[in-house]
Amino acid sequence: MIKPLPNWLDPNPWMHLSKSTDLSAIESAIYSKNPTIRELALLISPSAHNFLEPMAQRAKHITQRNFGKTISLYSPLYLSNYCNGGCAYCGIAGDRRADRLVLDDNQLIKELSEISKLGIDEIVLLTGERMPEADVDYLEHAIQITSKKISSVNIEVFPMLEKEYQVLANVGCTGVTLYQETYDQVIYEKMHRWGDKRDFFNRLYAPNRALQGGLRTVGLGALLGLSNPRFDMLCLFNHANYLLKNFWQAGVTISFPRIKPQLGEFRAKYPVDERMLAQFIFALRICLPTVPLLLSTRETETIRDGLAGLGISKMSVASKTTVGGYSSSIEQSTEQFEISDNRDVSSFCNALRNKNLEPIFKNYDAMYRGPISYDKNFKCSSV
Amino acid sequence: MSDLLTFDNITLKSRLLIGTGKFSSIETMINSIKASETELVTVALKRFNKAKTEDDLYGPLLELKNVTLMPNTSGAMNAKEAIRAALLGRELSKSRFVKLEIHPNPHHLLPDPLETYEAAVELVKQDFLVLPYIPADPVLAKRLEDVGCAAVMPLGAPIGSGRGLATKDMIQIIIKESKVPVIVDAGIRSPSEAAESMELGCEAVLINSAIAAAEYPIKMAEAFQRAVKAGRIAFEAGLMSSTNSAIASSPLTSFLSSYD
Repeated sequence: MIKPLPNWLDPNPWMHLSKSTDLSAIESAIYSKNPTIRELALLISPSAHNFLEPMAQRAKHITQRNFGKTISLYSPLYLSNYCNGGCAYCGIAGDRRADRLVLDDNQLIKELSEISKLGIDEIVLLTGERMPEADVDYLEHAIQITSKKISSVNIEVFPMLEKEYQVLANVGCTGVTLYQETYDQVIYEKMHRWGDKRDFFNRLYAPNRALQGGLRTVGLGALLGLSNPRFDMLCLFNHANYLLKNFWQAGVTISFPRIKPQLGEFRAKYPVDERMLAQFIFALRICLPTVPLLLSTRETETIRDGLAGLGISKMSVASKTTVGGYSSSIEQSTEQFEISDNRDVSSFCNALRNKNLEPIFKNYDAMYRGPISYDKNFKCSSV
Repeated sequence: MSDLLTFDNITLKSRLLIGTGKFSSIETMINSIKASETELVTVALKRFNKAKTEDDLYGPLLELKNVTLMPNTSGAMNAKEAIRAALLGRELSKSRFVKLEIHPNPHHLLPDPLETYEAAVELVKQDFLVLPYIPADPVLAKRLEDVGCAAVMPLGAPIGSGRGLATKDMIQIIIKESKVPVIVDAGIRSPSEAAESMELGCEAVLINSAIAAAEYPIKMAEAFQRAVKAGRIAFEAGLMSSTNSAIASSPLTSFLSSYD
């Protein structure tokens, strides 16, 4: 049964503006001093397409003011691809024929030393759904090992309980990335065919639990292509603002994972092309000026180089999406998704420098770790 | 009037302080610092990178002659973290200066007055020259002066906002009451705003985004260098008074003339 979205999330009162053809309203939204969801709805409308250039100009200026002429770098590290999940779009879902691997201590250390050689100092550790091969105890241990080598250690795993997040915060985990995939519950249910992930609200409130458990940052995102992207963009805006309001010390970031129309077996029912992707990124930059926007190596060189600094302030580099991918001596698993930008660190950095952007490898320090506390009596996780 | 900015036994000829974030390259940062003629430069501890020297800001900054480093605690969310960062910063820079900044909200980066106060008390005890980045709050400024901070650094507007001296009225109160130097930190976009801060009686200004995010940072650094000098000279010269209204032709106080 579908429960209604909570008021703080529901974008329906503004959806009509995402179909607006009022060009003067759209143009003034670009230069709004205090943009709200109203401005965002206008800026993601098909008609706003006519203003891509001024939106890019505005996005660039806002990015420079808030993040400088810099791009922070990070890399993903797949710990395990064991998964019993039923995500229809995923290369390592439970029903896929995939080579399954989980890193042991030595293999993890090997992977970390390869990543350190690249100079990378911010890592996202990934697993599939909660599995005996890679559970919270395993993650705790992996974070302990990783945090000895890397300043900023983040996770992109399954939703957990507050006390589990707390355990990870205590051993040096600073942030969690957890995409809702889509905020459209009907499609969400179709896409997640079985397993724990079918619980839409458990996932929706996981960032609350992570922050209440003491983590410092949460990364949000919608997998573009699954459902009406305009609906999802407005939800992302609301979700980010809700977390900022309820967790005043939290860092919130937004990523733009996209199912590419031309790749893989899964066909996006609502394909988002490159121009649309750029438009959404500019629009969110204008409407959430201080939220870091991330772009991964799922996207091509052309798109990544083009969007760097135009809204995007943080990018992954030299990514491997296989377990054991960084050290050639380890047998490799099936990859989760296809990488489109295969450049190594130095050629990517050169491309950034050619755009007058400085890549930053270390933008965090290990001394800024340990749990952050909020009012323990505060509950904002009820629907 | 000797025109030197003094902290303890350290005197600085330049009243322009420079921040080192947001530059498009380390080379541009270094050349901007040179063009600014600054002698006090702040750098985040988190940008110290021992593992990858081409990413490290401390190495090239320490090579600069006539420049003292002032490590800052950017990234610290509370007093405890800031104190640790300050201690490590001192070890790396061999400088007694610390720019104490604690901004627990990573989105607006506004300073936390409570944690800043707590950290300042401890860092002064540990013999730092503490320059705290604070909201433009005259009472907090006095409290920090009382516990021994070497200066106070109220914000003109939020970091990176480029909204200028949005807190001008409060900064004027702070200047009027302060025994330690008042340095405007954050918010300034244009050299004219830096000059205005100096004309108001600030002892210095700290600039980062306005230079780093300018189209030509090195040129902008020079513009700030001149503006700060001009503003300081203007302050010393004493501005003429200004008035918005003409004097009425029939004076309101004419009734008092019979008492002459």
